[in-house]
Amino acid sequence: MGTEEGGHGKGTKVVSLIEKATNSTAPEVDPRLLKAIKTVVRYSDSELRVATLTLMDLMKRDHSQVRYLALLIIDELFMRSKLFRTLVIENMDQLLSLSVGFRRNVPLPAPPAIASILRSKAIEFLEKWNVTFGVHYRQLRLGYDYLKNTLRLQFPNIQANVERVQQERRERERRSKEILLSKYESLKENASSIKGGILSTMDEIDECLDILHAKQESVSDDILDDDELGDFRSLELQQLRLEALKEGEKVYENSDNTVVFDTLRELYKLLMTKHLISIQEWISVLVRVEASDNRFRDSTLKEFIDIRNRLKSVKSKCEEAGCSLLNSLKHDEEDFWEDDNVVSMEISSGAANNKNKHLDVASTSHKMNSDSLGWQDKRSTSSDTDRLLHQGREVESNSQRSKLIAEAPVVRWSSYLDNWGSNRVFMANQRGLELDSHWGRVDADAVIPADKIAELNVHAMPYEEKKIEIQPCLAPLRKGGLCQRRDMKVCPFHGPIIPRDDEGRPLNQSTSEDMNVHLGSDLVEQLAKQAVKNIRVRDQEGAKKREIDKQSLKRAKLAKIREHNEAVLRDAALASTSGSAMLGEDGDVTNEDKLSAKNKKQSLASMLRKKVTSKDRIAQKLLSSHARVTADRQHVSGEDAKYREAFPNQW
Amino acid sequence: MHTHVWKQIRDREAGKVHTNHFANRIKSNRISQLQLSNHKDIVSPHKGAVNSLQIDSTEGRYLLSAASDASVAVYDVQRPSASESAAAFSKHKCLFVVDKQHQQAHKYAVSTAIWYPIDTGLFVTGSYDHHINVWDTNTTQVVVNFKMPGKVYRTAMSNLSTSHMLIAAGTEDVQVRLCDIGSGAFAHTLSGHRDGVMTVEWSNSSEWILVTGGCDGAIRFWDIRRAGCFQVLDQSRTQFGRRPPILKRSMIPKDSSTKLSGTQKKHANGSGSRQLSIGRVPSKGPTKQRLHPGMLSTQDRATAHYGAVTGLKATEEGMYLLSAGSDSRLRLWDVQSGCDTLVNFETVRLQINKPLQLATTQDSTLVFVPCMRAVKAFDMWSGKTYTILRGHYECVNSCWFNEQDQELYTGGNDRQILVWSPARSIADEMGEGPTEDQDNWSS
Repeated sequence: MGTEEGGHGKGTKVVSLIEKATNSTAPEVDPRLLKAIKTVVRYSDSELRVATLTLMDLMKRDHSQVRYLALLIIDELFMRSKLFRTLVIENMDQLLSLSVGFRRNVPLPAPPAIASILRSKAIEFLEKWNVTFGVHYRQLRLGYDYLKNTLRLQFPNIQANVERVQQERRERERRSKEILLSKYESLKENASSIKGGILSTMDEIDECLDILHAKQESVSDDILDDDELGDFRSLELQQLRLEALKEGEKVYENSDNTVVFDTLRELYKLLMTKHLISIQEWISVLVRVEASDNRFRDSTLKEFIDIRNRLKSVKSKCEEAGCSLLNSLKHDEEDFWEDDNVVSMEISSGAANNKNKHLDVASTSHKMNSDSLGWQDKRSTSSDTDRLLHQGREVESNSQRSKLIAEAPVVRWSSYLDNWGSNRVFMANQRGLELDSHWGRVDADAVIPADKIAELNVHAMPYEEKKIEIQPCLAPLRKGGLCQRRDMKVCPFHGPIIPRDDEGRPLNQSTSEDMNVHLGSDLVEQLAKQAVKNIRVRDQEGAKKREIDKQSLKRAKLAKIREHNEAVLRDAALASTSGSAMLGEDGDVTNEDKLSAKNKKQSLASMLRKKVTSKDRIAQKLLSSHARVTADRQHVSGEDAKYREAFPNQW
Repeated sequence: MHTHVWKQIRDREAGKVHTNHFANRIKSNRISQLQLSNHKDIVSPHKGAVNSLQIDSTEGRYLLSAASDASVAVYDVQRPSASESAAAFSKHKCLFVVDKQHQQAHKYAVSTAIWYPIDTGLFVTGSYDHHINVWDTNTTQVVVNFKMPGKVYRTAMSNLSTSHMLIAAGTEDVQVRLCDIGSGAFAHTLSGHRDGVMTVEWSNSSEWILVTGGCDGAIRFWDIRRAGCFQVLDQSRTQFGRRPPILKRSMIPKDSSTKLSGTQKKHANGSGSRQLSIGRVPSKGPTKQRLHPGMLSTQDRATAHYGAVTGLKATEEGMYLLSAGSDSRLRLWDVQSGCDTLVNFETVRLQINKPLQLATTQDSTLVFVPCMRAVKAFDMWSGKTYTILRGHYECVNSCWFNEQDQELYTGGNDRQILVWSPARSIADEMGEGPTEDQDNWSS
């Protein structure tokens, strides 16, 4: 409560913040300003009271944009502060009439587009407030009820919509549950038949496989046994041998077992496309369903999972036996492609990284140093004690190095750094391309000598200009402020650039100043004479007054002269820069703050003005009397010309 | 505050403070805290402006409301509807509503609905369809029906009466009629007003005295035992302060009778030239002689307001009369002397096209006046604005003060009936709402 004693003086802070926040054409309140307002208001009740008054005042402004931004701030505070709510709620009807504009004698102010946004936003906010705080504030309930039931305004009904969506979702869930239940019931009835069908298919497959293997076994049995004991001792060899055996075990399709293979393939297909999918489905149904008797569910679920596992094993067996379906093959291929892509991607990204690294480093020789320096820096920031400990050691080792570093030139990176200081000799014709005798005989041993290489690799360094700051002209402008133009020597409007003080007066006037002095002294003499005359004519009126008069006169004269001088200088400058005579000072940049403030004001005011559309401009052009006359004349002359062309002999 | 109350209770126990005094002090304390009630909602079933509100005088519990959509409803203001008792605020739905679906309902706007003063078994409604119906509350059937010559603006029954059961009805017609429930006929026709009668009010001091305010700006006092009105209030006759000293009071009747003739001439032209010419023809010698002495004041054309008198309210003790006019003035009249007490009420603007229902507190310290969208509470004797009760979104037509609970009910054109009640103490509010209303700053 100590803040409250701060009183009215403190309130100005939030007032200025709010004023600033609402004086913009943006569709949102500047978040930083909003935050500032919130923090200021949060810790001081008196500020909050002032803020409430200010916001209500702003709501009365005759500009929808201001009202809109004020409303946004009000909403922010309303959702947060209880005190603000109680304060605002007292004038709820006023706030609503100013934001919704439901009273016919108090319509919303000018920019109609923003007024409609304001209106819809206000209605939305009211609904939100009513949902959140309606229980606590009768006024909110009343306002909401009045707008909704008496004025029949259309509310966005966000809350109701959410509820409706939830209701719909619940409905959907209920329906899906029902479907699940019905499925479950049907499963109960014909679980055995499903099982039977699947099991029979599996049995058939087993039989087929048995037939195939039986045929094979008769062939390969004898080879298997004696080899087992033989010289395949080492692990690798054993592995190889096993693989070979497996390969040998594999049954290949031939004329004898085509029929078996065909049936096997068909059965496999059936298994894959129908049974496996159906069993998965049933399992998911069983998992999701909420049945009354869990015993049946659990038992069937167990059975089904067993069946699925068996199915899978059978499937793998089949695939071993070599009857994989076409689509699986395709799948493999796809995998291949994907892998490839990944690899290439990695390569490219790695390359990019490398490049980056290279660019970062100033030169190879410096790399180490800079690294170590960086390291040192880091450490120094991390802890002082550490640094103290290590400093002693590092001072000696680094003293020389740092000296060298200080001397060493910083070189930009380029490819020549790859063979910095190397004396290697390059083979001229061994670049990996075998272009044997395509271009005639090639000397494979041709060599580029090291000095030649060095010559070729000489580092080119572009000349970099030293940056100097160009001083602004700073001559005083007629509309206030200083000329901000930056030219090297001569400002096209204010002549040569000379050092000037804060008000834009030249600091050292050389020639003109002297002139002034001469002129001035003459004048002083004249004035003195006149003064003497005056004294004789009149009674003495105090020497001081006269002195002041004199001085002011002198000052005026001097100002006149200065003005004249400036005019002369300007004329000279204008003469020197051709073509800009008409521009004058309009093109100059004024003081920045002023400009921005002006811009803002203009835009707030300009929102009220009617926009001139292209249609208006066209209309203005076409409907002007001048245009009409000329159009008429053209029309008539055109007709004349036509006539003359059609009847050239008639005049 | 609480310690203060305890001390008072102890004083009352000890006999230091009179019981009535104690009760009044607590009541006035409560009244001073009136604000829009957040815990009591009256759910208005009306689809039109609420024109009239009244709490029954026997139990102080049943609120009767009449609305422009020809509907009349009754609410229990003490017990909320059962279904809503769990919420943070209680909703009071209407016990029953008589609207256009009802066979015997009014055709047009119901402008007035009043309880039978003896019990809640009957209520009376008056409507713009020229009818006054007397309803049986329990069966919601019309018991007696009166056909009036014009729109009914206001009806009134006397709270004091023991010898008559008359409904005074102010209508579009110039004559005020008294309808007798017992016989179902007009007992009296009181003529004197020159325009429709917007408002009627029985005196609180005598069961035979009726006060009527007309669109001609006159306020007339009628003694229903005698012919004609016996007093016409004149806005030019004023007295300063509440009541002149006793010595002067005896002189006033003489004084006023001499004054009357003077003001009659002065103020005759106040009502317009047409009435002036009509008035002048019969006001010659012979007609004046033929009149009953008591009827003399029918010729009195004094006005209490410029424009129509839209509202009348007699104070509880019957000594003063408040009147509201379409000139946006509120005047406090001393009934005994018939003088305006010159209290300057700080009204801004009053609704002019409808009769207004004013309300006063029991001890006549505050008067509640519907001023457009707000209800203003004025100090009765100084005219200073005490509080402004804002809550309605359109013009307020009527207010009624419930003396028993110190609650104010207001009805307006926005179809709402609002309850204004004393602030509840913190103890009452503890742990009632589902969620507390708190600050919600982001950390």
